[in-house]
Amino acid sequence: MPSLATRPQSTLRTAPAAPNHVREMFVRWQRDRDPAAREALVRQFMPLARGLARRYGRSSEPFEDLLQVASLGLLKALDRYDTDRGPFPSFAVPTILGEMRRYFRDSGWAVHVPRGAQERALKVRDAQERLANEHGRAPSVNQLAEYLEFDIEDVIDALQAVQAYDTLSLDAPRPRADGEVVAYGDTLGQDDERYELVELDATVSAVLGHIPARERAILRMRFVEDLTQTEIAERVGISQMQVSRLLRRSLEQLRTLTQDAG
Amino acid sequence: MAEIPNLRLRLPNRPENVLVVRQALSGVAECLALDAIETNDVNTAVTEACNNVVAHAYEGGEGLLEVDVYAQADGLAVIVRDHGIGMPAADEREREREEQSLGGLGLVVIDSLSRAVEFTEPAAGGTEVRMQFGAPGKAASLALEADEQELALASERALGSNVELQVAPSAMARAVLPRVLSALAARAYFSTDRISDVQLVADVLAAKAGDSISGSYLDVGVNVAPRNLELRIGPLQTGQGESLVAAAADGLAPVIERLTDERHRVARADGSAEMLELHLVDRQR
Repeated sequence: MPSLATRPQSTLRTAPAAPNHVREMFVRWQRDRDPAAREALVRQFMPLARGLARRYGRSSEPFEDLLQVASLGLLKALDRYDTDRGPFPSFAVPTILGEMRRYFRDSGWAVHVPRGAQERALKVRDAQERLANEHGRAPSVNQLAEYLEFDIEDVIDALQAVQAYDTLSLDAPRPRADGEVVAYGDTLGQDDERYELVELDATVSAVLGHIPARERAILRMRFVEDLTQTEIAERVGISQMQVSRLLRRSLEQLRTLTQDAG
Repeated sequence: MAEIPNLRLRLPNRPENVLVVRQALSGVAECLALDAIETNDVNTAVTEACNNVVAHAYEGGEGLLEVDVYAQADGLAVIVRDHGIGMPAADEREREREEQSLGGLGLVVIDSLSRAVEFTEPAAGGTEVRMQFGAPGKAASLALEADEQELALASERALGSNVELQVAPSAMARAVLPRVLSALAARAYFSTDRISDVQLVADVLAAKAGDSISGSYLDVGVNVAPRNLELRIGPLQTGQGESLVAAAADGLAPVIERLTDERHRVARADGSAEMLELHLVDRQR
């Protein structure tokens, strides 16, 4: 194998445009609408569509369906490709992937497609609660993935994504294990001092006032009483995901506030 | 002055580590305000390059997978590097592309989804794939420059950990560190409870990094074992190890002390900088 010293750096961008016989085929299809040319092009590039369908498909989707979607993308690419703009595959791959993305948008293929991600986050939240009730402890990511038939990565994304869903009704009243519907406010004691954090220095006392009572209570339960987030969720009547989000947010607020105060 | 990466990941080339890289990139994407499609394109292209290192770079053996991320004036650059057998000769690559064989399809995907891609074989051996992505706007404000000297220091210090992450203290650290540690905690079978705790610890480390490190990178090495994450954090200024543990929530309740195992330890590497060792354990059966 030649070493770097004997050969220049290579760049795929300099790859040649389509070979002549392929160009000719494109002209015959795009200009003359010759169906035989299109068929020949489809035959030549079908391995690309098939490869992408196999590579980015999910086991939960029948392969034939994926192949159909990828083929549709290939046909679109055959219509739109400009033979002067580099090799065909470089143009076709984004088109085919775009088609597959659209198809999967609701079934959760693409990373970070907002609607799918939000739905997945809610499913993860509910499964978390169900499994925690069943087993008496919070589930692992593997257990959630298996239970929901999600990828591990989808579950990890959901645990992270929840931080962004300020408007999501993670907070909505929910049935408890015993079937009683309880809104979070009802389960919080009215006496504020019960939730005050111990051993506060002056700076912190000053800024803690900016943190709502419920968040202060949750901070105390986690850091002073050493309850797990699942126990806190049960006590306050919200999901563990919401406990996680509130903890992260109020710690971040505290950091900002003490920086400003200092 | 030279351009230096905002983020460097060094991991064994195992399939499960590609997920760690993808989580880190999602953090980068969030920090650069990329949209869903852009994020997906970056992730897909980089995944292909990483999969290639996993499958081919060491001929089935184990070796290092390195990923560098640069926020630049005109976008985002990601380098995926290995120290393996080097790449197939150019004509062979071209043949693979033509045939759309497995390796070839990966190259086509990378080529299609990036603005530019360059394959090189560094003098030290192995292969480097440098991918450029457009990321207008936000990336420029995060671009970093430093002396070559400083960069060399950052890459040479070996932590001997399973997974190592070096990140410049910035918004990127705050977006990347919690995701990477979450992914590793998930691998260690942590419950979602404890994964959230890990995120809280990561938030503190990332937020405090700017004031506590000595040098230009926060360096986090992680050993993953069942229900156990061992973190080594450094290089820290003198006294910062203890102060991170004790005063992490600004006098509120010490976040790191409460959420990590009590046997934390501050060690001194090469006489100057401190290293903080933390253990995160999930004790639930």
